[in-house]
Amino acid sequence: MEELLEILSDLRPDVDFENETKLVTDGILDSFDIISLVSTLNDEFDITIRPANLVPDNFNSAEAMLELIEKLQDEE
Amino acid sequence: MASQVFDWIRNSAALRGDRTVYSGMGDSISFGDLERFSASVATWVAKHSDIERPVAVMTGRNVFTPACYMGVARAGCFYAPMDAEMPHARLVQIMGVTEPSLMIADMEHLEIAKALAGDCEIAIMEEVINGPIDEDLVAAREASVTESSPLYMIFTSGSTGVPKGVLTSHRSLIGYLDGLNEVIHLDENDIIGNQAPLDYIAAIRDMYLPLMTGARTVMISKTEFAMPDALFRTLNENKITILCWSAAGLEIPAKLGGFEEGKPEYIRTIVFSGSVISNKYLRIWQENLPDVTFINQYGPTEATASCTYYVIKDVVNDDTVLPIGRAYKHYQILLLAHDEDNDTWSAVPDGEMGEICVKGPCLAIGYYRSKEQTDKVFMQNPLNKDYPELIYLTGDLGHIGEDGELYFHGRKDRQIKHMGHRVELAEIEAYALTIEGITECASLYDKKREHIYLFYAGEPAPKEITISFRADMPAFMVPRKIVQLDDMPHLPNGKIAMRELADRIPK
Repeated sequence: MEELLEILSDLRPDVDFENETKLVTDGILDSFDIISLVSTLNDEFDITIRPANLVPDNFNSAEAMLELIEKLQDEE
Repeated sequence: MASQVFDWIRNSAALRGDRTVYSGMGDSISFGDLERFSASVATWVAKHSDIERPVAVMTGRNVFTPACYMGVARAGCFYAPMDAEMPHARLVQIMGVTEPSLMIADMEHLEIAKALAGDCEIAIMEEVINGPIDEDLVAAREASVTESSPLYMIFTSGSTGVPKGVLTSHRSLIGYLDGLNEVIHLDENDIIGNQAPLDYIAAIRDMYLPLMTGARTVMISKTEFAMPDALFRTLNENKITILCWSAAGLEIPAKLGGFEEGKPEYIRTIVFSGSVISNKYLRIWQENLPDVTFINQYGPTEATASCTYYVIKDVVNDDTVLPIGRAYKHYQILLLAHDEDNDTWSAVPDGEMGEICVKGPCLAIGYYRSKEQTDKVFMQNPLNKDYPELIYLTGDLGHIGEDGELYFHGRKDRQIKHMGHRVELAEIEAYALTIEGITECASLYDKKREHIYLFYAGEPAPKEITISFRADMPAFMVPRKIVQLDDMPHLPNGKIAMRELADRIPK
């Protein structure tokens, strides 16, 4: 979780990732943020985020992102 | 050709009043609704304002926003769209230039509007679109302005640190869309998928083409652009046939692997503009949609969205340099060279590079309340000594290739295109210097990675600087890489050594 929070805070230091739960639904993260985030997460966690994974539920909170990362790591 | 946009509104309401004009975001309105809502808005505006005055409109992404814009136009005034998501400080700057006496805001953004309004009177969108209609008053107002009266004012980045309001007439908008539609031939069967925020220049296509052609527009929710599966589903469920998107917006689904699991089924034509598209992502679109016509457009807001176009013939490869093509009807292009020593201009010899200049009836009127900035770039055609003729200097460089097409070669100055937006690096620096503790700074652009850099000397930590930028500037103007230096490198003449800073950016 710490590593993820660090990545997120580098991307958007103005956002409270520990508490926000509607990052995508409320438009806090825009499509350009998602693009940089997806490529950073793929590199840092050695995963491949597929288009099917790109749904708001997977990116609305740091916790949801962590779940997605762990799920994808298990699959590999 | 219509002469003012309200001719379109009246005609299309008479011709196809029951048909849908705009849908999306949970709502839908017909051509008849658009006529009624805009007449109601026009009645309110006409009762509170003289003709040819600005009206600020802060109404978000919904099908009623175009009715507010067009209502302002029908009252003989011009609309200045405001994006409520912009930071407060930016909106204050825009209001400072505009100084409107009237504003229209929706319920959702009313508090933001009130915080900006000052003495300005605010109408609530949900009320004003359903207010009383005074037919005679609206007709009188429509008759009181001409096709060269201003229609809208759209703001763009200014190198002085203050955004510039580009003021555009009815005639320019109608001329551009007439030229565009000669190429894309929309009709009543077409369905346009709107990507551009409604306060941007790019949205004029999606809002006004239906009035001209009988097509209709579906507004796509902003969150879907980060979620390609949802985006393609929306395109297919709505049977969308036409996309007029920013190049940056078109790249997103290709970057996120959207075509791995599906593709749009009904699209026939894709027009893109705003920046040089990446061949890699354009090719993904082309290979997945081989029957679609792709059109590359070029042009600044000052020439009413786009002035040249190129219909792409082949699938691009890594080495392809796409032309920006030829002028649309109602536009002419000149390539001029400036001799700095004598301050003289001349036409460039065939095939050589020059500054792209635009003339014709579709130029913007100029920058609002900024004669100095206007005179710098809207000037007498230096090749015409015989009669007054205005040209617009784009600041872009180009050359005519052996194929007769125009090719784009970037900027003369420090303006960049980032995430599809025009950004003056000087404006980023001007803002950074207002942050307490920053003594010197310089902003550079890493085009390959699409990162804006800010190098600076001073107290605050990079993170604090990002937070300041996020609070006061639009997201596309926030530097992604912020580098603190003990001292800025200097040239012997005291200027900042930009080359030395450029070497610090990874190759």
